[in-house]
Amino acid sequence: MKEFYQNISDALNMLYGMERDLNIRHFTPNELKVFYTIILRSADKAEGSNITEIVANSGMSRSTVYKTLKKLSTEGIIHLHQSEDDGRESLIVLNSVS
Amino acid sequence: MKNLFIYSLTAFVFSSVLWIMWSFFTVQSGIVPNWMGSLMYLPHAARVLMVVYFGWKSIPGLYLAELWGPYYLADDAYNFALWIPSAISVLSVSAALFSLKFFGFPLGTTIKSPLNKRNYKHIGLITMISAFFNALLVNVYLSQIHANFEPVEADINQVLRFFVGDMLGVLVVFIFLAMFLKPVLQQSQSKT
Repeated sequence: MKEFYQNISDALNMLYGMERDLNIRHFTPNELKVFYTIILRSADKAEGSNITEIVANSGMSRSTVYKTLKKLSTEGIIHLHQSEDDGRESLIVLNSVS
Repeated sequence: MKNLFIYSLTAFVFSSVLWIMWSFFTVQSGIVPNWMGSLMYLPHAARVLMVVYFGWKSIPGLYLAELWGPYYLADDAYNFALWIPSAISVLSVSAALFSLKFFGFPLGTTIKSPLNKRNYKHIGLITMISAFFNALLVNVYLSQIHANFEPVEADINQVLRFFVGDMLGVLVVFIFLAMFLKPVLQQSQSKT
């Protein structure tokens, strides 16, 4: 039976790696919504979307989006950088998965 | 021969559960056309997981599950004998592992192994190759006996659908398992 449990453990390790790399294991539904909105926006705008666009496309309140972006940024999933066209504007960009 | 029964039984139960779920949602519920069933074939995940982690000892259970569902639960689902296509499908994962080993990528459990069974990307590669073998060989067989799931000859679209369907099925099952087993995964990682 030891070998059986060892094989199960290997399978669990594989699943854990996938869960860790997807990095969505502890997201709330609202956070997932913002996360998916950023991914969808990234397909259109590689340079990143501004917060107003994320708010408009996610259909959520500005404060919820702000809070969520802060969490995603802390966890290293996204980063914010200043727009070259407008210094007052922050653009949200997805970090690549290594 | 050690653990043959427990490996086979686990493979049989897991594969049967996935087949029943797949059959209910895609074939019997009538929500989608029958041919779309192969566009997300969940039981391929059982073939991959069981053969990769349990080896050849899981093959009898997998083969029984492949036959048990269609013959016992939905005997009107197919209009041809499943003995050979089911065997091809079950052996597709072994064929993928054998091919990779032949080209110098044997399966192991350490970080130095060319193929590591703890790395989901490597499992993804095995899934892709086994889906390719399964799609190609099952449809070659169906063409040879002039049988098919649809009232037309097996064609390249069906090969492609099988290929994509097996991979999508595995992806869905793996993501579901990763989410469903979250507490177990976190506990097992905190112990290591």
